[in-house]
Amino acid sequence: MTGIAHRSARTNAETREAVKRFFRTGSIFIALALLWTALAFASPYFFTQQNILNILLQSSTVGILAAGVTLVLIAGEIDISVASVQALAATVSATVIITHDGSVALGIAAGILVAVVAGSLNGYATIYARIPSFIVTLAMLGIAQGAAFLVTGGQAIGEFPHSYGVLGQGKVGPVPVPVIIAGAVYLVLHLLLSQTPFGLNVYAVGGSRNASRLAGLRIERTIMTVFVISGALSGLAGIILSARLDAAHGSFGASDLLDAVAAVVIGGTSLFGGAGGVIGTLGGVVIISTIRNGLVLLNVEAFWTQVVVGGVILVAVLLDQMFKGELAPRDLVPGLRRA
Amino acid sequence: MSLAVGSGPQPQPVVEARGVTKAYGHVQALGGVDFAVYPGETVALVGDNGAGKSTLIKILCGALQPDSGRLYVGGEEAHFASPRDARLRGISVVYQDLALVENFDVAHNVFLGRAPVRFGRVDRRRMAQETTTVLTELTVELPSVRTPVRFLSGGQRQAVAIARAVHQGGRLLIMDEPTAALGVQEGTKVLQLIEGLKSRDLAIVVVSHNLEHVFAVADRIVVLRGGKVAGSRAKAGSTHSDIVHMIVGADVGGAA
Repeated sequence: MTGIAHRSARTNAETREAVKRFFRTGSIFIALALLWTALAFASPYFFTQQNILNILLQSSTVGILAAGVTLVLIAGEIDISVASVQALAATVSATVIITHDGSVALGIAAGILVAVVAGSLNGYATIYARIPSFIVTLAMLGIAQGAAFLVTGGQAIGEFPHSYGVLGQGKVGPVPVPVIIAGAVYLVLHLLLSQTPFGLNVYAVGGSRNASRLAGLRIERTIMTVFVISGALSGLAGIILSARLDAAHGSFGASDLLDAVAAVVIGGTSLFGGAGGVIGTLGGVVIISTIRNGLVLLNVEAFWTQVVVGGVILVAVLLDQMFKGELAPRDLVPGLRRA
Repeated sequence: MSLAVGSGPQPQPVVEARGVTKAYGHVQALGGVDFAVYPGETVALVGDNGAGKSTLIKILCGALQPDSGRLYVGGEEAHFASPRDARLRGISVVYQDLALVENFDVAHNVFLGRAPVRFGRVDRRRMAQETTTVLTELTVELPSVRTPVRFLSGGQRQAVAIARAVHQGGRLLIMDEPTAALGVQEGTKVLQLIEGLKSRDLAIVVVSHNLEHVFAVADRIVVLRGGKVAGSRAKAGSTHSDIVHMIVGADVGGAA
């Protein structure tokens, strides 16, 4: 009986796995590069510093939402309330600032707080009431959306102090502040997921709830934490969004749920939990923003963007299934389906 | 390896259950079970389907709570609200379904829920090193500790689950049907593995349907029938048919 093979001796399966993983994440960025190249040829305005920074700016709030969704999905749950919570945090924050003599800190605190409460309720109902998180967060989507309109009485409110506006409109050199904030969020979440015991727990809980429970992981705490983080990030996105637009209204960010989920799906995070990461999501977000931006530059009617983004979700999942070998092209033709 | 019976003071049991009962609705799964495991021994827990083996094991490892009765660990009374509590008191379990995370590699499964941290970061190098060490000690051959367990065979997975329980350390190792899902060859390998564990300072409880395997590894055999202990026999001096009779509840006459 010899010991096990040395660590450096990789097995075929393992190498295949590593290569696959590399290409799965890499392919997103390759697709992005191809998209940018095509658009650069299609429009002279596309590949300019201003336009690229614009795409990144458009990506920042949706990206922050998508990062939260990624975390929740890896843990084996889902959060579809992010865009509504974003709108609620925006209106709450704006209202508090305006009714409290421009107290920016108080407004931000209130916005984040209400978003964290929404996230906690999502977590609580999922864990303790044992309602599937899809239903819980669907309910929260309705509640937060309605509350966002109610907070301002259906009006758009705005004109914030300069110190608030900086969060959305400020720049460091040529780079918009929201892009920097989003970048920091991605860096922190990536490190959290890949380097900390908490990150391992998130993958374990999403990968096998049973194994995690028997291994003594605190599953409830992990799930609660991902919902709270997702809520807090939605709040942050809401604040940045209202600062950027210098106004808040319940309808702001209405299409962000579609974009955020699309970004996560394109980014390769498993819808069944236990696999994925924010780097892929980052690529997905920029792809979605690029599509929106490109369609505008190409003078395509704005309504087409939702159609295209929806289609991209389907194609991305389809390609992913084929990539994993779970689906062959012939399976798509009902008559040829294998028994 | 068998206990000195009769002479000298009885050693303190590693883990003991006294008068444990458990009902599922109207079904009395355990009707007052006394069960003790002594240092260094390997006890096989056998019985027919529904005899209460799984229920007893789940109570010992904290996955279920008894309706009445008491548990003692090293002579002290213990209450397990969860598997975590039992683990903290030195009881490690290899579950029948192994409780592995398919996407995780061998090292991550061995350290599931116990990842070492260095400067706030998961210390993956240490995980790989210690996993390699424990696998080598157990003379388990695996392609690599970085292989996701979904690529491993049934026997290899069993070995990973055992390695995890051994690495956790503790005083009692419970194995629920460690060979049931395996082919002949892999089953034999796992039996060798269990045999190898005996040299460690560990008490072992093995639940099994397979008397062949039970006789291969156990020092003592405890038979459950209808939620009660039907008997306990040292392996030495017992025959297959003695045990079978105890399992099915037939009179142990010579006329078989």
